[in-house]
Amino acid sequence: MDLSRRGFLQAAALTAAASGLTVACGNGSGSAGTKNGKNLTMWYWGGALSDKVVAEARTHFSKQVKLTVASIGGDFKQKLTTTLAAGTSVPDITGIKGEDIASFLPNANRFLDLNDLGFKKVSSQYLEWKTKLAQTEDGKQIGFPIDIGPTALFYRADLFDKAGLPTDPDKVAAQAGTWDEYFALGTELGKKLPGTYLINNISSVFNIAVGQGTERFIDRDNRFIGDQDHIRQAWNTAVRPYTLGIDAKINDNTWNAAIGKNLTTELGAAWHALDIEQAAPKTKGDWRVCATPGGPANQGGSYLALPKQCRNPEEAFKIISWILSPENDARGFADAAIFPAAPAAYSMPAMTGGDPFFGGQKVIEVFGPAAKSIPAAYEAPADAAVMAPFMTGLTSIEAKGVKPDDAWKDAVAQAKQIARRQGVK
Amino acid sequence: MTAVVTRRSRRPKGLTAHIVLVLAVLISVFPFLWTIVMATNTTEDIYKSPPKLTFGSHLLENIRHVLDTIDFFGSMLNTVVVASVTTVLVLFVDSLAAFAFAKFDFPGRRVLFATLLGFMMLPLQLAVLPQFILMSDIGWVGSLKALVPPALANAFGIFWLRQYIENGVPDELLDAARIDGAGFFRQYWNIVLPMIKPALSFLAIYAFVGAWNDYIWPLVVLTDPGHLTLQVALAQLHVGHTTDYSMVMAGVLMASVPLVVVFTIFARGFIAGATEGAVQGS
Amino acid sequence: MTSPPVTGPAAVPQHPGGPGPARFRPRRTPPAGAVRPTRRRVLSYWRQYLAISPFFLIFIGFSFFPVFYSLYLAFQRWDGMGTMQFVGLDQFRFLWSDPVFWLSIRNTLVIWVLSTVPTLFGALVLATLLHSVRRFKGFYRIALYVPNVTSIVAVSIFFGAVFSNNFGLVNAILGVVGISPVPWLSNPWLIKLVIALLMTWMWTGYNMIIYLAGLQAIPTQIYEAAKLDGAGPIRTFFQITMPIMRPIVLFTVVISTINGLQSFSEPQVLFGSNAANPNLGGPGQAGLTTLLYFYQSAFVNNDYGYGAAIVWAFFVLILVMVVINWRVVQRGRKS
Repeated sequence: MDLSRRGFLQAAALTAAASGLTVACGNGSGSAGTKNGKNLTMWYWGGALSDKVVAEARTHFSKQVKLTVASIGGDFKQKLTTTLAAGTSVPDITGIKGEDIASFLPNANRFLDLNDLGFKKVSSQYLEWKTKLAQTEDGKQIGFPIDIGPTALFYRADLFDKAGLPTDPDKVAAQAGTWDEYFALGTELGKKLPGTYLINNISSVFNIAVGQGTERFIDRDNRFIGDQDHIRQAWNTAVRPYTLGIDAKINDNTWNAAIGKNLTTELGAAWHALDIEQAAPKTKGDWRVCATPGGPANQGGSYLALPKQCRNPEEAFKIISWILSPENDARGFADAAIFPAAPAAYSMPAMTGGDPFFGGQKVIEVFGPAAKSIPAAYEAPADAAVMAPFMTGLTSIEAKGVKPDDAWKDAVAQAKQIARRQGVK
Repeated sequence: MTAVVTRRSRRPKGLTAHIVLVLAVLISVFPFLWTIVMATNTTEDIYKSPPKLTFGSHLLENIRHVLDTIDFFGSMLNTVVVASVTTVLVLFVDSLAAFAFAKFDFPGRRVLFATLLGFMMLPLQLAVLPQFILMSDIGWVGSLKALVPPALANAFGIFWLRQYIENGVPDELLDAARIDGAGFFRQYWNIVLPMIKPALSFLAIYAFVGAWNDYIWPLVVLTDPGHLTLQVALAQLHVGHTTDYSMVMAGVLMASVPLVVVFTIFARGFIAGATEGAVQGS
Repeated sequence: MTSPPVTGPAAVPQHPGGPGPARFRPRRTPPAGAVRPTRRRVLSYWRQYLAISPFFLIFIGFSFFPVFYSLYLAFQRWDGMGTMQFVGLDQFRFLWSDPVFWLSIRNTLVIWVLSTVPTLFGALVLATLLHSVRRFKGFYRIALYVPNVTSIVAVSIFFGAVFSNNFGLVNAILGVVGISPVPWLSNPWLIKLVIALLMTWMWTGYNMIIYLAGLQAIPTQIYEAAKLDGAGPIRTFFQITMPIMRPIVLFTVVISTINGLQSFSEPQVLFGSNAANPNLGGPGQAGLTTLLYFYQSAFVNNDYGYGAAIVWAFFVLILVMVVINWRVVQRGRKS
């Protein structure tokens, strides 16, 4: 810190004189050179890994390397891309969010191929569909799976009870097996408990409904398919709660004020449990989890990757494979609701216990089977960018009262345009 | 100052003026008070309806949360260093150029000054992308020094100081100095600088606040989480679904207080600089 | 820098200094300027050139060159990491048919009008009042300027909390009066209003100080003379104060236009931004300003070429508007 600040002052004094010349200067990437560095930095964001496991990793490897970890707030992807583009102060190990991994694949050469470092030997321990998503067409593996986000239906058992509905997860799952049944349940809840809503916003429904299919917005031949039936159906599903009046239409910072109050259910991935827990600690014990209406989907779930500039690839790989070993991965679930990508973890004691926030329910019984039956879908690099207009369209329905059909037309037109801009046919 | 007129014309209008002004003061000060209310209560108090209107006792706890979440003092120090260095350099560079523009008719003066004014109109964001590429080429991305050069191209400062020097520094004084054998830089240092202090102090606050508040550029260029400015760090407090509002408001309070305190200490000189300068000018 | 045109414009005499302003407007001072600068004359001013050189070096390196480099980028497709690919006018063609771009322009202009007008009007009123009072002058000046020295991120967070639909103070107060909650941060117009309010709160005091400086510069004798002529305060204001203040008002209009059209931090902090976020710029993208769209395209979606095209198109659009505006004003003055 001190050194850099002094250097900064000197540099600033020289800036005035030097600025005209700097244009021509070469690049000063600092982390080149030896590949057995003793200092490694790791970037991740709050909640990406279990802080306890990371802390243990630091002491466990302290003889070989000094591992510095930084929890990056804000827009993680933007920070990582600009850093990679700049080529200076690149971390040796970095997290990559599940929704961003596809967009990094075209620049796979910025990362080390984990297969060269021994990932092949352990890859069978991790869910294949998750591993594949971080793989280029020619088989380069850039991401080591941390976790996945099997979705489920979170619901307020106390409010269900008040409305005279079953509260037992199996029974709720049976009554809300399909989207239609789930919305019917919501209508009933709305009648019995005025002022409450079934879902927070319709984009979240759309997100999951798309994830329940095997195709997304762009197919393997790099063609736009976002205007086809599978997306239209997901769209229609999402719009229904809006027309039924069981949508809370929350699209701003008020979610955490509403979650403990007038939301009866919440659709989300396993990690979403932590959001609920932090936003509404008072509702501890009132929540339960059951299977997602219409089948499981995946939402998020991240990776660790080694940028090309990594100063000690071998040790770095050892560190991440230690942190992400099924045993340690399982502990992440208890600490931070990180759902492991390694199925072996699901039967470990760390995961099979009851969760007091969910009234002692063994939530693995819901998430475990969901994780194994998530449909594998191809996710193109531009997928997230192409999906954005659909989400915007759904929000416009809620915020501006745009007619769903008009919103659909706008969304498709715009998605097509973005797709073309990103080089999709 | 201009009391001659106002004293003689004591109108009943004075009262209305005071009422409007006091209302305006209330509006401009209220957010500070309400920030304190939110920062001293818990998030649950904030979410209550109706919300709690009185000061609470959770300030220290909230501050501790802020310090746990972001490197507050580190980023504050970074911001102070960057803003101070930028301000000093801006004052120097701009006053020197302004003096040349104000008092010397060198060839190309008009063209150069017009270019400068023209560029004042350009949105600086046009330059953000290439500036970023430039910084990455010279290896400054992620380091604080990347924040200084773009802030130095401050055409407003030259415009402002030129105006002031043109009117506020009498030619006779410079002529006299010239006869005594003082060259350009001696004149600048011994005569101009002391005479334009009020204008400099206004520009100083302007530049300092500008550097302090800069957001888009640090957001883009400061990739290293160890080197953030206060604005970026503060924005990071406020991310995601699970915003702990009372903690965020404590951060807001902590980020606002120093600047306001420093300002009120120097305010007299500064506002005199803004207003008296113009009086002299005409 | 640019490639020379095939046929040089024959009418323009070539001299090293470039085209001087002399052709456009008559030079008022001094007669010596009419003489073509000789080399010796230029050299004799080396100190002055040295004095302005630090600024111009920085300016060329960090403003001038980057601004034109971004124009070059606007003709490329580039993700910031891979190789650049020349795509001609494609980016601008995309822009033309991109509804989000036009929406962002509309948003920016609406926010600009909603904030600039009350800011400048309020500043003028407050400055006039402040100029007329005798007591507590120093206190008022400081207290009214304080909003401008707060952190913009902090203020945005604050406004987000106060105008929150569910737990904000504003809705709570309205609730006491019996008005049902107003969706400040989800209704497209109210979103803009909140952003404009925020900017008004921050910038009124700043402009007030500038106006006050102008008012104090007006010699008191003029007012005394006006009073002797029997002019009332309103007539004095419009017939004496305003004409003298004209350049200062123009200056603040220019500055607030530049600031107002660059609104970015406010919606960015209020609504966050990431690729998968449907609420970029708020529900219905109602708070998506052009700069925020630029930031998102370039630094979040890694579409650097498109980002460059967005800012350039925006800049040209503003330039056209300014020129039209200026023409209208000029014509109005002539007739």
